[in-house]
Amino acid sequence: MDRRGLLGAGILGAASLGLGTGASAKNPAPLAPGLTKADFAGAMKAFRGVVGTEWVFGDEEAVAPYAKVYVPDPANRHVPVGAVCPETVEQVQEIVRIANTYRQPLWPVSTGKNMGYGMAAPATPGQVVLDMKRMNRILEVDTDLGTCLLEPGVTYQQLRDYLTENNIPLWIDVPTVGPLASPVGNTLDRGVGYTPYGEHFMFQCGMEVVLADGQVMRTGMGSIKGSTAWQAFKWGYGPYLDGLFTQSNFGVVTKMGLWLMPKPPVYKPFMVRHAEMGDVSRIIEAMRPLRVSNLVANCNLMMGAAYQLAMFKRRNEIVPDGALLDEVSLKKAAKANGLGMWNTYFALYGTEQTVAAVEPIIRASLTASGGEVLTSAEMGDNPWFHHHATLMEGGLNLDEIGLLRWRGAGGGLAWFAPVAAARGIEAERQTVLAREILEKYGFDYTAAYAIGWRDLHHIIALLFDKSDAEQEKKADACYRELVTRFGAQGWASYRTGVNSMDLVAQQYGEVNRGFNAKIKHAIDPNGILAPGKSGII
Amino acid sequence: MTAETPPRLSGIEEVVMKRKIGPMLAIGALTCAAPLLAGQKLGEVQPLRTPEKIYATTCGYCHGRNVGPIILGRVLPADTVKYIVRHGQNGMPAFRPTEIKPSELDALATWIEKSTARSGEHGQ
Repeated sequence: MDRRGLLGAGILGAASLGLGTGASAKNPAPLAPGLTKADFAGAMKAFRGVVGTEWVFGDEEAVAPYAKVYVPDPANRHVPVGAVCPETVEQVQEIVRIANTYRQPLWPVSTGKNMGYGMAAPATPGQVVLDMKRMNRILEVDTDLGTCLLEPGVTYQQLRDYLTENNIPLWIDVPTVGPLASPVGNTLDRGVGYTPYGEHFMFQCGMEVVLADGQVMRTGMGSIKGSTAWQAFKWGYGPYLDGLFTQSNFGVVTKMGLWLMPKPPVYKPFMVRHAEMGDVSRIIEAMRPLRVSNLVANCNLMMGAAYQLAMFKRRNEIVPDGALLDEVSLKKAAKANGLGMWNTYFALYGTEQTVAAVEPIIRASLTASGGEVLTSAEMGDNPWFHHHATLMEGGLNLDEIGLLRWRGAGGGLAWFAPVAAARGIEAERQTVLAREILEKYGFDYTAAYAIGWRDLHHIIALLFDKSDAEQEKKADACYRELVTRFGAQGWASYRTGVNSMDLVAQQYGEVNRGFNAKIKHAIDPNGILAPGKSGII
Repeated sequence: MTAETPPRLSGIEEVVMKRKIGPMLAIGALTCAAPLLAGQKLGEVQPLRTPEKIYATTCGYCHGRNVGPIILGRVLPADTVKYIVRHGQNGMPAFRPTEIKPSELDALATWIEKSTARSGEHGQ
């Protein structure tokens, strides 16, 4: 069936099978533990009194957009029971108070588009999504200091449009699905981007948080009346609190300050092409000193050939369905598209003089590693080079959604992202282990390394066909084996999806989990904020 | 399904129902939206967007740009477009009413149905 056929078949299939939420009249999405139908109905009625009937969703059809996930969920655990959509911080406070009254758990989302981590779906059953997309005000942009203050529903696209329309020469730093994602949400999940401001939480400055008891707290300098430094000075006084609200369920962040990078006079993107899978260690050994010294200032993406090809190609264009994605076929397809087996992207930012001074040093080092150092002069309009050149200047695209078509039409993706120190030997060992586990379940090593200042994020896209129930079960089992076997080697994820939050938390040990649980019990005794987030009860 | 659930139409019935009323809603939405189409102001929520703006900043990043199928110039029924937007399709994410407002979606779906093909678009 061609793509046009699939478009038509998809809608009929969805309609006849239900909405893919796992819920139906015969099999309703379960309420939260201990909650009665009357409690739930009471909470929903009270929510309507706060935000209006049109912004509370409680029936299966209306909840369907909140339930679409890419991650494996063979047991249909990650289905919300409703959604409530405030437009102001006062409404968030009121919703939190109501949630306490009825013990109705809330799952806050900013724009709900973290794609391979679970979208808007909750970690545990019975939650009402607190959808803050309507809170999308850009509150301040300071062109001198290069700062902004945003609400959670602002997307990177909105911020980019505002800066462009007002001729403000500041860049944004985007994750790979920037147009739809939220700077606040991505930063709270400690996501990364690809300019020198790519470690997003490092460039965050000041938060406003609605606590579980409904109080509003501002972090850093934000609680000082008359302070002009809320977005300029990160630390404030006393214990640094902002980290408590990232990857956690200790509060609802309703405002966040971010630093924005001034547009540099010169921006020059590069790609380094290596011919062999076995080059993994040499690349990292060559790149590490450049990153530690900050000669290369942005987070590099070292992209494997299969990951690159999966963005714009389908698997059966390279090998027949059911066949192993062998190295010979992969290499042939990569070469035909101007790619190597590893393709490392970085950029230089500065003036003509500084870029001209640094470039020869970097070229010499990377050429010595066996790579071809390429620029737009050689790569032209190659779509992969264009994609990464766009990301490294904070540009917007959704090219990576193409990954969802790699294997069948069902759209299955789960990111597995274990961290290691930036050493070649660690990457070499990780690649061997990942390939062994993935191939055991019949999946491909579609992977990249993000080379940070001193760390590696091994970014593995577990791609499967979600319309195939058996494949979804295998993907679930494969993901769990990846987490536990990597964990046993000392490599745990920096972030994970709703399908595996508890399992990843286990890798970090009982003392850490217990500490998080004590904080949770103290500040949210009714457990109404996002139970299960990051494995915190 | 929960205690909240009102009687509802099946997916197919709903598509048919929406097909009848969609265009009327879309015309109304376009009329109402006209004074609000400026860019976003500091401190204010995002105003309603035109179909062209939504296509350029959401749909058009995938459709016709290597990732998703071409959807312009194919006379796709507006109700089909609306259904797919709200539920997602295969690898396409679902878009909630908070992301694409109901009136925006009505106008967008009609605009896509009536659109002509763009020569620069391509699918791989």
